[in-house]
Amino acid sequence: MDFVCNFPFFSIILAMFCGILSSVLKGPWAKRLCLFMVTAVLVMSSAVLAYTMKTGTSYTYSMGHFPAPWGNEIRAGVLEALTATGFSVIMLLSLLGGMSHIFTDVEETKTNLFFILVDLLMSSLLALIYTNDLFTAYVFVEINTIAACGLIMIKQDGHGIVAAIRYMVMSLLGSGMFLISLSMLYDITGHLLMEPAKEAVGAIVASGSYEVPLLVVIALMSVGLAIKSGLYPFHSWIPETYGYATPAASAILSSLVSKGYIFLLIKVFYRVLGYENVVSSKVINALFVFGLVGMIVGSVKAIKQTDTRKMIAYSSVAQIGYIYMGIGLGTKAGMAAAVFHIFTHAATKSLLFISAVGLYEVSDGKADYRSLRGSGYRNRAAGIAFAVGALSMVGFPMLSGFISKLMFATAAVQSPHKMVATILGLAVSTILNAIYFLRLVISIYSPAEREYGADMSHQASRKLKVASLLFIIVNLVLGLFSQPIVNAIDAGLSMFV
Amino acid sequence: MLAHLAANMEETASMILFGIGFTTLLLHKNLIKKIIGLNIMDTAVYLFLAAKGYIYGRMVPILTDGITDPAAYTNPIPDGLVLTGIVVSVSVTALMLSLTIRLYRRYGSLDLDEIVMQWRKEER
Amino acid sequence: MEQDFLLLLPIFFPMAAGILTLALAKAKMGRKAKLTVVFGALVLELLFTILCLMRGDVSVTLWQLTDTIRISFHVDTISRIFAGLSVSVWLLVGCFAFSYMSHEEHEERFFGFYLIVEGALTALSFADNMVGFYVFFEVMTFTSLPLVLHEMTKPAIMAGLKYLFYSVAGAFMALFGIFFLAGYGAIGSFQAGGILDASATAGHEGLLLASAFMMIIGFGTKAGMFPMHGWLPTAHPEAPAPASAVLSGVITKMGVLAVIRVVYYVIGPDILRRTWVQTVWMILTLTTIFLGSMMAYKEKIMKKRLAYSTVSQVSYILFGLSLLHPAAFIGAIAHVIFHSLVKNTLFLGAGAIIYKTGKTKVAELRGIGKEMPVTIWCFTLVSITLVGIPPTSGFVSKWYLATGALSSGTGVFSWLGPVILLISALLTAGYLLPVTIHGFFPGADYDYGSLEKREPSALMTVPMILMTMGAVALGMFPGVILNAASAAAELLF
Repeated sequence: MDFVCNFPFFSIILAMFCGILSSVLKGPWAKRLCLFMVTAVLVMSSAVLAYTMKTGTSYTYSMGHFPAPWGNEIRAGVLEALTATGFSVIMLLSLLGGMSHIFTDVEETKTNLFFILVDLLMSSLLALIYTNDLFTAYVFVEINTIAACGLIMIKQDGHGIVAAIRYMVMSLLGSGMFLISLSMLYDITGHLLMEPAKEAVGAIVASGSYEVPLLVVIALMSVGLAIKSGLYPFHSWIPETYGYATPAASAILSSLVSKGYIFLLIKVFYRVLGYENVVSSKVINALFVFGLVGMIVGSVKAIKQTDTRKMIAYSSVAQIGYIYMGIGLGTKAGMAAAVFHIFTHAATKSLLFISAVGLYEVSDGKADYRSLRGSGYRNRAAGIAFAVGALSMVGFPMLSGFISKLMFATAAVQSPHKMVATILGLAVSTILNAIYFLRLVISIYSPAEREYGADMSHQASRKLKVASLLFIIVNLVLGLFSQPIVNAIDAGLSMFV
Repeated sequence: MLAHLAANMEETASMILFGIGFTTLLLHKNLIKKIIGLNIMDTAVYLFLAAKGYIYGRMVPILTDGITDPAAYTNPIPDGLVLTGIVVSVSVTALMLSLTIRLYRRYGSLDLDEIVMQWRKEER
Repeated sequence: MEQDFLLLLPIFFPMAAGILTLALAKAKMGRKAKLTVVFGALVLELLFTILCLMRGDVSVTLWQLTDTIRISFHVDTISRIFAGLSVSVWLLVGCFAFSYMSHEEHEERFFGFYLIVEGALTALSFADNMVGFYVFFEVMTFTSLPLVLHEMTKPAIMAGLKYLFYSVAGAFMALFGIFFLAGYGAIGSFQAGGILDASATAGHEGLLLASAFMMIIGFGTKAGMFPMHGWLPTAHPEAPAPASAVLSGVITKMGVLAVIRVVYYVIGPDILRRTWVQTVWMILTLTTIFLGSMMAYKEKIMKKRLAYSTVSQVSYILFGLSLLHPAAFIGAIAHVIFHSLVKNTLFLGAGAIIYKTGKTKVAELRGIGKEMPVTIWCFTLVSITLVGIPPTSGFVSKWYLATGALSSGTGVFSWLGPVILLISALLTAGYLLPVTIHGFFPGADYDYGSLEKREPSALMTVPMILMTMGAVALGMFPGVILNAASAAAELLF
């Protein structure tokens, strides 16, 4: 086994140890350690990606050298490595872009807490991505939930705590369902590791026994993780949660935390339950329908908002809907589109959250879109970044959003029963997206109704500029050089089976 | 049907408990009751796992009297899962309780609806 | 396929020049020096384009977006017609703008985007497949937006917003048509007569027709086709005169180009012939022709009247296309060129009047012919052309449209079409000629004492004279255009 194969484990454990170490460090040092950790994870994940691409196979890494049916395993294939790389890029850029706000929004003595939580979050996300064991997945789901909850309430105001408790309640419902479903699965298969469990599921399906329990497992697992990732109609916690956290936290929560659960769901579908069983169980149709409804409802609600942050948060509801719609198509092309959209949305939504702050900073701190008039001139970097993000969400060609929509549509044509609904849903939600995002872009570039003082025209900090620029580049790369990424996703999905 | 349910008494009980816990967590407005619901829900899962792991007439899976035949012992994995699960649920409960204390100090209420209403008022 | 990278020059040169012009906004240069840069860019662009158009049917692939989709360019007869038209008009209107824009602020911004849009237009004319076309269609919309809301007043911004929403909604409708058809091979290179994979489309005719209809309506938005024509009368009065001229004269034609590409080069006329799509399309265009003329007749504000006239006249072209008949197709292509020249001249004339006198209403223009004889003479000649009195060019195109309609075998439309064309021609005379009549013959009670010469500078008059001459001369010698159009039509039918 090559040395690179250790990297997934190293990155999980490194992130966790950084979190523990940060508890005795002061804020600025915790920050440096955290940035170092994310960079190191990025480097290691890219190495794993290069390695798996080169070998063309996935590998399992058994912890403590216990053989298959007993031990605890990590699995790394192209898709896992790609996701880990993508997530660490987004994490790094979100931290960079929201850095100045972390130190103003969080009490000075508690800044190191923020970075502890980020470290733990990173560790649990990586574990969710790489794990090959269902119970490990459950444990890290809970760690992820706790860390995310901490990030939500890090501002320590009433908003944060109420938002956190609502998030916790929904999340715990979700993890409870996940836990009971995996207990039942363990009951009927006798395994928690993904490969033997899948074999057992295959045997059960072939023998025709335990039909109802298997259906219940599939349904509970899907619903549990759907609640946690905020699929309509379980989206009620999203706007408050994303809207009021510190910008770096909003960006991380919206683009990474919910995606971690979706990735886990995809992995469970392929690696445990067997995708064809999931497709034939019809649970997938429910995901499809709720995804579609979420796309429309999220956009309509976003149009009704006047607060920019809530508008962006509701747009997340719609985008999560896109992803579930892709999963719900029940084809490999649909799944590939959904995975690609995970990246698109992560790159775009964090850009929007990071740049939106720059805009209302220069508008007396007001976030409703009418107060933002002319802010694109007062803070040019943030204005350009926001415009690019909005255009990408709308699906402007050459940006990442266009490619994901194209992939969804192409995938839709391959599944005849769902084609018309999918494309109509895409069309309606795209036009709705265009309405509120272009309204925002126009309003930040239309002349202000009154003069703003000199203190309201300060330019973005250099970190924000660099982060925005890099985010824009990521978007352009996803929009223009999508083919290698799509190929990698396809290869990764094939390795799942 | 009833005979099946009676034969699988532990599983039936754990499913009922899970339902009770789930609905309490979802529907109750009082935060403390929500937390109690959470614990009932988790405990139901542990009951389910423990019931599944226990094989009638076998010993606790600790090597006793030099008997190495695995057929003499029950399955240790569910017990391990239960222990891990308890750790997770304790930490989550602790977090929820601390959040509740903070909310109570700030808003003087444990009713989530009332808290949200006050919070909306503050926003204006 | 052999790569001919020279083809990229007329697309990216004006974009680069436009960005340079935008960057010049802060440079300490005289106005003259900056305008010289813009003028140089416009002339060079004309030369580059002509150079490319003379190279035969060449292609170049710019970018491989995904394995199946590439952004590539190809020159064919239709490209030659549209690219040649847009770059020549762009130069002439640009010269007019040098003088006109002197009383507006932020000239660099106007000319910068003016040049970028020119690049997008050339790219559209050269585009080789639907995805590439769509990309540059969006680029055109977004870069032409600053031209519309140039004055940045509240009505201008509202007009810009309306333009944006109509365009984006239309483009997305078209985009979903593309998505629907992508699976049937619609994103391959354009080919005369359609490229759809016949074996794959079998059994999906309903879907195919619905997507075709969506694309026609969607792209028809840019061409001002009813029911998506609302942006034209709002956007035009707010935009500066040169911007409205090119918006009406050239950018609406890109909607026409899109429809040509969709109907004749992707889906193929044979699939649409005698289907509900053709019927509904014909009804929509005829409605637009009639309503546009009526609204223009009732309108009091000069530029709005011209905008409604555009709505009506561009639908002549679309009606010609909807007949799916060679003669009507030739007429439509000819009308693209004639209407572009005419409408640019009309808008420039209206602009010159606003520039010199500030008058915007038709009723205020009494005696204007005495004050600005050259402008109004040009205005008169192109009005006559647009009405279609022989031997002007409007007559030629309408003749082809009418004969096409009569022999198209579309039932009631084969005679209803020419009748509506005739009524609309009368209405056109009714709304354009009063300007001339009252301009030259203000009546006995006109106060000749206050009359003063207000002829604009040569920079303004020469482009108008050139375009008028073009419009009239092409009517007498329409051979070049008709030959090119029939060459294209021969491949199609």
